[in-house]
Amino acid sequence: MLDIQTHMDFEGQAKAERWSRLIITFFGVIGLVYGAVVQQFSQTVYILGVGFLLSSLITIPPWPLFRRHPLKWQKAVNTEPKSQSHSPSESSDEGKKKKK
Amino acid sequence: MHTVLTRGNATVAYSLSVLACLTFSCFLSTVFLDYRTDANINTVRVLVKNVPDYGASREKHDLGFITFDLETNLTSIFNWNVKQLFLYLTAEYKTPTNQLNQVVLWDKIILRGENAVLDFKNMNTKYYFWDDGNGLKDNRNVTLSLSWNIIPNAGLLPSVQSTGKHTFKFPTEYSASSI
Repeated sequence: MLDIQTHMDFEGQAKAERWSRLIITFFGVIGLVYGAVVQQFSQTVYILGVGFLLSSLITIPPWPLFRRHPLKWQKAVNTEPKSQSHSPSESSDEGKKKKK
Repeated sequence: MHTVLTRGNATVAYSLSVLACLTFSCFLSTVFLDYRTDANINTVRVLVKNVPDYGASREKHDLGFITFDLETNLTSIFNWNVKQLFLYLTAEYKTPTNQLNQVVLWDKIILRGENAVLDFKNMNTKYYFWDDGNGLKDNRNVTLSLSWNIIPNAGLLPSVQSTGKHTFKFPTEYSASSI
């Protein structure tokens, strides 16, 4: 399988959704006006189709501009490996004490 | 919006919603238009015969035979919400047996972009002018009118009658000549 990262960060997702709706609405209005002027509804649909393709190109692939605000993960905490002097039963006793 | 498929789904769904709005706007822009216009109709030959109607019973019914002139200009009816017009020529009359008779004699489909200026002379009818009985002989008041059915891209399909009609009468005797 292709191992392409397709995530965006949350700010990028909001930006992408807003841009896709703006582009499609804008082309829809342009298409309606142009179609009414030339009296061909087919032109309206074609212009909306162009708007859809442009919006898909801009907002579906995860461009770097949608990754400008990556999440700040906390630093990883390394759990110490248990030393060999502890026996398995003592470890289980410690587990039982903690449950109180 | 966190995978490609989610974003793609949202974009497609929004595009379809916008398309629905645009189609509704197209319908709104033409719903109050007046689609009537004038038509000049005239009859040239008018005959009536009395022959057995072999499709129904073996009784003899009146069969009218007419040729007509039709002249009209329908280019102003077309707009971005009219895909085609279905024209039909109707003969309307009254007989002793029936209060109202309407017979379609001829029809035509005009697509958007085709020539919509009609000027037919001495045109034959497409369909037989059968009467349901013997009411055509000596019928003084038969009215021919042209109507059209608007086939839209989005919205209503109104049926509009032209403002021009033509009234004629059938002869008092049956014609003996074979047509």
